[in-house]
Amino acid sequence: MPSYFATQADLEALLARLIAEGEVVAPVLDQGRNILQTVTAATIKDVNLAGYRTVEPYKSYVFKLTERVATYFTPSPAGQNRRLVLFGLRACDLSALDVYHKVMDEGEPAYLVVTADCTACGRTCFCNMVGGKPYAAAGFDLNITALENGYIIETGSPRGEQLLSPLPPATDDQLKLQAGVRNGTEAQLETVNQEFKCKCNINWTEAHRLNLENSKAWKEVTKKCVECSACNFICPSCTCFLLLDSRDEGSLGGARDERGTKDENSRHKVWDACLKNGYARVAGGANSRPKLFERLQNRYHCKFDYSPTRLGRYTCVGCGRCIDACAGNIDMREVYAELVRQVPLTAKLV
Amino acid sequence: MSCNGKEQYRPVKARTEKVIIETSNIKTFVFRPEEPLSFLPGQFMLVTVPGIGECAFTPSSDYKQKETLEFTIMRAGSVTGLIHQLQAGDTVGLRGPYGQPYPLPSYHGKEVYVVGGGVGLAPLRALMYGLNHEIDQLKKVVVRFGSRSPQDICYRDDLPSWGKRKKTDLVISVDTAVPGWTGNVGLVTTILKDDDVDVKNAVAVVCGPPIMMKFVNKRLLDMGFAPKDIYLSMEKNMSCGIGKCFHCNLGPYLVCKDGPVFTWEQIKDIPEPW
Repeated sequence: MPSYFATQADLEALLARLIAEGEVVAPVLDQGRNILQTVTAATIKDVNLAGYRTVEPYKSYVFKLTERVATYFTPSPAGQNRRLVLFGLRACDLSALDVYHKVMDEGEPAYLVVTADCTACGRTCFCNMVGGKPYAAAGFDLNITALENGYIIETGSPRGEQLLSPLPPATDDQLKLQAGVRNGTEAQLETVNQEFKCKCNINWTEAHRLNLENSKAWKEVTKKCVECSACNFICPSCTCFLLLDSRDEGSLGGARDERGTKDENSRHKVWDACLKNGYARVAGGANSRPKLFERLQNRYHCKFDYSPTRLGRYTCVGCGRCIDACAGNIDMREVYAELVRQVPLTAKLV
Repeated sequence: MSCNGKEQYRPVKARTEKVIIETSNIKTFVFRPEEPLSFLPGQFMLVTVPGIGECAFTPSSDYKQKETLEFTIMRAGSVTGLIHQLQAGDTVGLRGPYGQPYPLPSYHGKEVYVVGGGVGLAPLRALMYGLNHEIDQLKKVVVRFGSRSPQDICYRDDLPSWGKRKKTDLVISVDTAVPGWTGNVGLVTTILKDDDVDVKNAVAVVCGPPIMMKFVNKRLLDMGFAPKDIYLSMEKNMSCGIGKCFHCNLGPYLVCKDGPVFTWEQIKDIPEPW
């Protein structure tokens, strides 16, 4: 994959071209943190590719909080979508979108992906503990590494190649600087997560399986959970939803169509959260996970045990947003460390 | 129907042909879809009340009957409450079929031991039609069915005739008898006690309320059934029906995609699967 060198002016020109053709969402600096914003011609200069992931995940631009997925028994209104560009997302968000597409299986995504390397790590970042890296190796149209005096832009697809106006190839010295940024962030991640790293050969899946029936450990973990579901919603790879129907005057504006149908029935896909008490409740009131510790345990098992079975991968990308968002200060890394502690010594030695 | 693409959540329009009152809280609805929808016993569909919502049910009719589909539905929540208000001529939506059917060819040459409770008789009725079509390939069919009271039994006109079918043996038991009831009295587990089943060459199929399935499963294991030979219909909250919303997860499985029928072998290691 060829790499090019771009100046700040080149980057701004690229953003200007992308904005002219569609919606571009990118990180901008706000009180020292990257937050996600739709970029306009006036805010191009605010786009910040240094630092680490945005506070909020990119998923809401692909997996909408509420999305109409069907109308029925009436003609469907024609939809018109502008091209979406996910600009500056980190490897963790890219990995989370891979989860979304694996689960939904709705064909090739229509949006463009411009990833950016993390040039630093946050105190809650732990992608290195779940098999991730602070930069993307594949799956992008373009990848950008912010250096002190410019950017390395790597193309990852023919579509990405077409987005670029002619740029000089990156020199060996510039590629060395890129490697330096990447190694530096990886070293930071190691330091930040040193205390949580397992000293034995138990991975997340094993830690969970070996504690499947250890309700005591889970009750202890759950003591701090207030069931707000912030972790569900902020998680870039939580993709649970509920289908909700509505009847409204819709696109017909209350007029009757040729078949005499007035109402438009719509079906919406709405985010849902497995920590909520009603999530697994069936008609009549029976609930297979009535206790909060069972729901929290199920959430972790989903990510580290069931998903490896179903999807062949963890559905935690180690972005650490759930740790930042948790009102009870529950830290996924501490939960893992606690589960490993609970595993009998004999199992650890196997 | 495809599980992918834009059409995956759109139901097929269907007309309510007939409503049959089964018990005080159970009705059977006969729906005629505008497009042909076929299913196999054990698979489920989602019934839409337009503009309100949808619920998952297993059809209770004969899968060879293609033009209409029957659903036997207990009034239990808000959507089923509205379904119970449907009258002939009303429009509904149908989506599916989804899930895995009973592996009927694998039952050939064996005894099939069918145990049901309450409205769990609905999917078993579809199964019974399926078994009856293949009765020559089966050793025998034993049906043991439990109900709270004689008034709570579905298909009262049809059910007694099941026992008169070729190679089929039927016993019904009620938890509480009323004057005039001459059949068995007691939980369904009590009529499993004396059955002479060749468990080494039999499969058991169970459908009913979770608590009933839990105890019937235990009884079947005591009788010597192998976990791989016990087929259980699992009920979980479902929304999408196609393995995407994750509401119906049962350990690593999704009931809508991997089930709704599971063998005990598949789910025995999941804590409290009921």
